[in-house]
Amino acid sequence: MDAFGMGLVAAMGALATVAGASEDIESDIGSQSNPNSQVQLAAQVGNPHRIYNKAIAGEPPSNALWCTTAAIMAYVLIEGYHMPLLFAVAAGASLAALFNGVMATSAYLGRNASQARFNQWIYLDIIRYTTPSIMAHAWITSFCIVLISVIQVYVLTPHHPFPIPVIAIIWGLTVGAIGSSVGDIHYGGEREFQWRLFGQGLNTMLSGQIVRKAEAGLRNSIDNAWFCAKFGGPCTGMGFGLTVFLDNWRTTVFDPVTQAGAAIAMGLFFVILMNLYNFYCELSARRKYGPYPGYKGDIAA
Amino acid sequence: MSFDINTIIYILEIIVGGLLVGVGVHFVPVGGAPAAMAQATGIGTGTVQLAAGSGLTGLLSAGLMMSVTDNIWPIIATGAVGAMIMMDATMLTGSWIYAYAVGAPFASAKVNYDPITKFSQPPYVAPGTVGQGIPTVCFVSGTIGAAMGGIGGALIYYPLVQINGNPAMSAVFAIGIFMVDAVLASWNIQGTIEGFHDPKFKKWPKAFKSCLVATVILAVVAVLITPIGGV
Repeated sequence: MDAFGMGLVAAMGALATVAGASEDIESDIGSQSNPNSQVQLAAQVGNPHRIYNKAIAGEPPSNALWCTTAAIMAYVLIEGYHMPLLFAVAAGASLAALFNGVMATSAYLGRNASQARFNQWIYLDIIRYTTPSIMAHAWITSFCIVLISVIQVYVLTPHHPFPIPVIAIIWGLTVGAIGSSVGDIHYGGEREFQWRLFGQGLNTMLSGQIVRKAEAGLRNSIDNAWFCAKFGGPCTGMGFGLTVFLDNWRTTVFDPVTQAGAAIAMGLFFVILMNLYNFYCELSARRKYGPYPGYKGDIAA
Repeated sequence: MSFDINTIIYILEIIVGGLLVGVGVHFVPVGGAPAAMAQATGIGTGTVQLAAGSGLTGLLSAGLMMSVTDNIWPIIATGAVGAMIMMDATMLTGSWIYAYAVGAPFASAKVNYDPITKFSQPPYVAPGTVGQGIPTVCFVSGTIGAAMGGIGGALIYYPLVQINGNPAMSAVFAIGIFMVDAVLASWNIQGTIEGFHDPKFKKWPKAFKSCLVATVILAVVAVLITPIGGV
């Protein structure tokens, strides 16, 4: 264990936290992932809206695409043209953001055009001021993830044997999986349905009845980003940051050649700790909220 | 390359890895899009995406370990631990949102009592939903599934590197085989499952058979491929 390695792992954890948060907010502004099913449904059940709609693919494949695009450009600039690392990564992230912008715009136009029969309009002002926000967040995500890959391959010892694009595709898939598992709940479970009773999941009868009015005027996707950046985004960042940090911390503190057993045992310790923490969350939620008042079954709470 | 007894062992390792991935997916509690609206128990995303996210994080850890040792046991163990860390971090942060943002107590709609904690479930299931959140049994099941996915990914990666000595190509092939088995298992559970206590879990032998057929073909192709120029 050396201080430089520990510093690098800490930096990777911080970068991963930022990447996770920006990934989730990007998907919330674009309304990309699971909650988008409700946005799609809204127009069909008579609620046309001004929410952006860019479900190009699931979050993991699309983020893998942005991160790999950025990583390939960075890799070529570093290996082929001997450019400085940071410049190469920034240039790669810019390319990924451009790809993202093209796909987001075409997805919004295509999706909303296909819903014309439900009186869903294409709003050009939404495209004009929402798309750059989506691209900006995609830039931050790709930049952070490619930088993590660069650190793993060139700086952190032992150097990772995979090339930068392969590491970026894996971290891209992972950040997308975490964003779609964690941040989406805040957007789908909380933000889209704010007038239902607090403290319960969404009743199936309310499907498609999303909130369309904002604190002032009509709600758009920037309002959703404002809300989700308070809890959903940071939680996603925490999830991805924990993954990257804990996974690399144990092989940095313990030498994988001579202390492989200790590195594995430390990982198992984290796993058990997280199991216990989840049990605590379950217990505290049951205590705080209690059973549903309308329950008529014969099983005691 | 020469086809000898080692090649058969490598093929068997890839097949076992693929089967572990296929069965491991059945343990992961995924609720799909409804879970993202706190309308179903489990993690609010797709099966394949989550399994791939965790299994491939394990693959990264296994790849790092394999660059410093040839011993298969630490490689497999570190793959499993890497995958478990990713899955648990995801489920834990998801639980924070269920508990502290949506404000829903965790409940499974498939069993009356949690098999591990013995907590009653139906009184806590909100009307019009099929459960919400990640109860302890789902969390433990997800951890087991992630471990199997991580071991599977490492078991597919290990023989490929032994054969062609190229970590990059082996990793890409391992990702491919992983995805095939995860998708086959995902079809078997029709998108959502709560874990080993879910009645759907009993369908795993079907996925086992189909993953066996798919992985045998993939394993034979995989061991025959060597990098251009024999790098």
